[in-house]
Amino acid sequence: MKSDQEEQKPSKHDPSRRKFLKGVGIAGAGAAIADHIWTEAEAKEEQTPSTVSGETKVVLDINGAKRSVQVEPRTTLLNAMRNHLEPAVTGPKLVCDMGTCGACTVLLDGKPAYSCLVLAVDAANKKITTVEGLGTPDKPNAVQAAFVEHDALMCGFCTPGFVTTISAYLKKNPNPSLDEVREACKGNFCRCGTYPRVFEAALAAAKASQA
Amino acid sequence: MKSFEWTNPTTINEAIKLLNVPAADIDEAPRPLAGGQDLLTTMKDYTSRPARIVNLKNIRGLNRITLNARGLTIGALVTLTELEEHAGVRKNFPGLAEAAHSIATPQIRNLGTVGGNLCQRPRCWYFRLEEVNCLKKGGSECYAATGENKYNAIIGGGPSWIVHPSDLAPMLVALGARVDVTGSGGKRTIPLDKFFTLPTENIRRENVLKNDEIITEIFVPASTLASHSTYLKFKERESLDFALASVAAAVQLAADKTVRAARIVLGGVAPIPWRVPAAENFLAGKSLSADVLAEAGKLALAEAKPLEKNAYKVPLTQTLVRRALAKAAAV
Amino acid sequence: MPQQAQPSPSPKPKKKIRVPRVVNGVEQMVEIEVDADSGPGWGPNDKHRLLNQRITRVDGPLKAAGAARYTYDYRLPGMLHGRILRCPHGHARVTKIDTAAASKIPGVKAIIQAPLTELRFAGAPVAAVAATTPEIAGDALRAIKVTYEVLPHVVHAQEAVKPSAPKVVAEENNLQEKGKNGDPAKVEAAFATADEIVEAEYTSPRIHHACLETHGMVVDYRGGDTATIYASTQGTFTIPEDAAKELGLQQSAVTSSVEHMGGGFGSKFGIGVEGMFACRLSKETKAPVKMMLTRYDEFVMAGNRSAAWQKLKAGVKKDGTIVAVQARQYRLGGLGQGSQAGQPYIYSMGEFYREIYALHTNEDSAIAMRAPGHPQASFAVESLVDELAYKIKMDPVEFRKKNLRDPVYQRQLDRGAREIGWSRRNAIAGAGSGPLKRGFGCGVGIWGGGGNNQCKVALTISRDGSVVVAVGTQDLGTGTRTYMRAIVAEEFGLGIKDVKEQIGNSKLGGANPSGGSTTAPSLSPSVKDAAVKTRLLMAERVAPLLGNAKPEEVVFAVGKVSANGKSLSWREACAALPAAGVTGNGEWRSDLQSRGVHGVCFAEVEVDVETGHVKPIKMVHVQDGGLPLNRLTFESQINGGMIQSLGMALWEGRVMDAQLGMQLNPGFGDYKLPGTLEMPEMVPIIDDDDKREAVIGIAEGCNIPAVGALANAVFNACGVRVRDLPITPDKILMGLMNSSTSRAE
Repeated sequence: MKSDQEEQKPSKHDPSRRKFLKGVGIAGAGAAIADHIWTEAEAKEEQTPSTVSGETKVVLDINGAKRSVQVEPRTTLLNAMRNHLEPAVTGPKLVCDMGTCGACTVLLDGKPAYSCLVLAVDAANKKITTVEGLGTPDKPNAVQAAFVEHDALMCGFCTPGFVTTISAYLKKNPNPSLDEVREACKGNFCRCGTYPRVFEAALAAAKASQA
Repeated sequence: MKSFEWTNPTTINEAIKLLNVPAADIDEAPRPLAGGQDLLTTMKDYTSRPARIVNLKNIRGLNRITLNARGLTIGALVTLTELEEHAGVRKNFPGLAEAAHSIATPQIRNLGTVGGNLCQRPRCWYFRLEEVNCLKKGGSECYAATGENKYNAIIGGGPSWIVHPSDLAPMLVALGARVDVTGSGGKRTIPLDKFFTLPTENIRRENVLKNDEIITEIFVPASTLASHSTYLKFKERESLDFALASVAAAVQLAADKTVRAARIVLGGVAPIPWRVPAAENFLAGKSLSADVLAEAGKLALAEAKPLEKNAYKVPLTQTLVRRALAKAAAV
Repeated sequence: MPQQAQPSPSPKPKKKIRVPRVVNGVEQMVEIEVDADSGPGWGPNDKHRLLNQRITRVDGPLKAAGAARYTYDYRLPGMLHGRILRCPHGHARVTKIDTAAASKIPGVKAIIQAPLTELRFAGAPVAAVAATTPEIAGDALRAIKVTYEVLPHVVHAQEAVKPSAPKVVAEENNLQEKGKNGDPAKVEAAFATADEIVEAEYTSPRIHHACLETHGMVVDYRGGDTATIYASTQGTFTIPEDAAKELGLQQSAVTSSVEHMGGGFGSKFGIGVEGMFACRLSKETKAPVKMMLTRYDEFVMAGNRSAAWQKLKAGVKKDGTIVAVQARQYRLGGLGQGSQAGQPYIYSMGEFYREIYALHTNEDSAIAMRAPGHPQASFAVESLVDELAYKIKMDPVEFRKKNLRDPVYQRQLDRGAREIGWSRRNAIAGAGSGPLKRGFGCGVGIWGGGGNNQCKVALTISRDGSVVVAVGTQDLGTGTRTYMRAIVAEEFGLGIKDVKEQIGNSKLGGANPSGGSTTAPSLSPSVKDAAVKTRLLMAERVAPLLGNAKPEEVVFAVGKVSANGKSLSWREACAALPAAGVTGNGEWRSDLQSRGVHGVCFAEVEVDVETGHVKPIKMVHVQDGGLPLNRLTFESQINGGMIQSLGMALWEGRVMDAQLGMQLNPGFGDYKLPGTLEMPEMVPIIDDDDKREAVIGIAEGCNIPAVGALANAVFNACGVRVRDLPITPDKILMGLMNSSTSRAE
């Protein structure tokens, strides 16, 4: 075995990365959202509260917008988006509420996660992307367009989760095999029976994105 | 989910202080939260009802993978995705990468942590139903003993018949891993095969951690065994499931292809990762012929005492032992 | 949902036409009466511009972008969240409910008790609360103190059938006879002539609909004279009457709305217990209440496909003739009656005798689920037929063809066998070396799929050229919106995007609930009728601009309206309409639909005989259905049927604990729906040899034959006949162990 193995880079959970943002990044963050001048108070809210019981204000970065929301610590990110944000973000669906179906899938810092198994207070420092952030009915992303073209949806309740999971996966692996697609969305379940066409759509979207 | 206080310590000592609070019931004591992929499900079904959650993710330095000549050090907050995708782990600890990959779904692995995987609670459906006050929740009866016990233990059971749900645990035990644990009593290092506890030792918990203790890191010594390791997990449903049975195996062969050393640890069949020294010792000095593999499988399950509905786990696990050994030897 | 009765004849003049009908599984042409003034028919199936083509669904972009609004997505100002308290005992009587502590929790607005005090299954609703958040509602449930008198329960059929078993309903026997048919003496005599006899028991567990959107609704009522109900329902018009009763309003004051809904599969009709609570809570608080069942609730109180226990015995001659069959069938519907098609289902088996019973247990009532009663009966009879074929060493496909006289099955079996590669099949079950063994199996199914006359469609063309087709029906994800547009667009020579639809609202024209594959055959004739009528209305208006052409001679094609060598653009033609435009009202026409669909399924599986793992390799389903309105969504329906059957065959099933009397797997972790890694290669085939120029519903039909096909494929692969669904690794391993033990003996 080699002795000169690399040291893994700190993951995004590393608070040092956030410290950096807090310490140096307020101006940068302000610039990124262009027309919003950050007040001291808002900057404070940006930070994870140290101890919270009862309702608290949390700022969520959803689909490129910072949005504050009043929640209890026990409120999941999914319920915060659906029941507390105004206007609500309802693309991610509440189906099993136990991390066993994938309909609530969102991207946290680009990676698929079940928003029913994340507390809103714990999502405050992450970039959250929902299906709405990937494209719109008029301007769909390649995966959304392929889902329509290949009839990869029926009742449509699982669709936001599949679209989100596959969109992230194609960024990681732009040219997947059928088996890789199956593996990538094995945490998403459908009841109407769209799977074969979900696979077709994912492969077609990969092709379309390459072209 | 019961409401709770959310706390965000930035140091281990702070976290331990926040955890070190007496509670009327062990399931109401403060709980540390890492990825939360199991803890939140137990809170949703009220199996755990902590008054306080101690978020560990703002504590620095618990999320690194370090690999050197001595071995592999995995921070407790390293995610399962990070572990399975780490090039050094895949090369030098292939069984560990396989075990990580076998867990749940990509979504869960993106948030679920190595520490959390080792500390997850049993999946027994009696345990997970809010309405059922089973032995493990302080009740007086293990309903699985005479009930629907298809998924329960065939080895080491009684008075509770849960199986340990972790996939990393059997592999890490097979590789001789140890965990560093810190609590109000200080820091201690525990060989992983001494970390998990049988129901006879502690009916309410599955390991030796005290309420105010957290795992900080896991160390896996480098070895030829580790680089010839594999993990086979058999699921009823491939897409998302816990193991009906699994086998972590590692085999070191001599130049003449006879076995110099072997490790076999069974998952999904006992309340703890179940190492089978009799089968390991039997293999020493032998070539892995079909007959030898079959005998190793039999020896590995010699202690099995199935319940009414899980006798199938015996031939199933025997198959997995045979296949895992053959695969590990071929790595 | 059972088939709707055919409508009573209207007083209009009639003409006679010949249409296909299925009688005892055999299709026959029969003469029926239709309105004499019926307009043109659909025309040949292969001559359509938009119908029978592949049209992407019109609500696809909304759904793929997460912008489609479902019941679950509604959030109204001041809305409260409802939750239901479930009984934790298999059978109990509520003696006291103390809500004092619960009602003191900040945010709790109302608590109401269920009307029943004797609760006959675990999960039965005891009370309901409304609170400002679902989390607080959950706190309130747990703060309600209920005192129960626990009564004896029985949840397993094999126990419930015993005379000593606890009674589910005190005054009644658990076992209730539901009918005896045939002549037992003749059957016995026929058995004496048989060369081989097969006698076996087949069981299948309760299957859950597992709609991804749970049952529920948002009741928008604030104490006034009107209310709107946003419901996740298969029947827009099944909501207002019951909701109005609960709210104390007139039915006409209650509007129901269902824009998009997340799956029903037969389970979502009426307001249900959740709707009753939602209305009562809303009435009490004068605030909108959202009551969506939790996933746990959904499993234990939202209904399910009844379990089945079937004891069958059949005799066969060496030439492949089945001479007699005897059946004892138990419908296991919990508190309900359950559903199970009578044996020998669609086969001709000579003499038959059957007894059907309902056997009650302390479980919630089974309800309709996609092809009610058929998959259970089909699994048993297809297994039995397969066992008979092996007994006399006859190819199972040939054996079926011999005992199914309908020529449709003959051609479908041939087609399916060719597509799956039936010739690759092992003649001897379990043959071959190595642990991985391939096997093939098949099954056949039948359904009605005819329509009824409830759909009232209004088609309006306005002066600005817009076209709106409106009816209160609902789109369950079957593609209803899309074919509505396609029918209209085709009639007017327009594109799909030129037509808009309005559906899912009880203020629109009436429509039938979507059950029993009745939506397309009920709705599409009414849409077609509206299109034909509106076309004539419009033609009359534009005729003066086209050289006073006769209205029926005006041609609508490629966005133009033409006659007598003159041509107007669509906009120019519409500008000639009156200010209010023209509206045609479409009624159902029986000649545009039919009933009787046939399907066959073939499956190839690989069984690992050392682990018991079954890997589905390939499934082929051949399905007829008259005129396919949309080939794309038709195929998706076939896929859906195959996949739901796959789940029933290999993984799904409710597990009940005898001692506790409760379900052990009320969640998607332990109730195992098939996922992406379970999918075989799937080949949905539309049987275009069906030349009927009529729309027939197919959703149920393609959810029937695959279960038997898969069970038979498993047997062919490994030689283990699993007669108890689902076919899980434990059963295969134990089957292999037992057969090797019996061989050793």
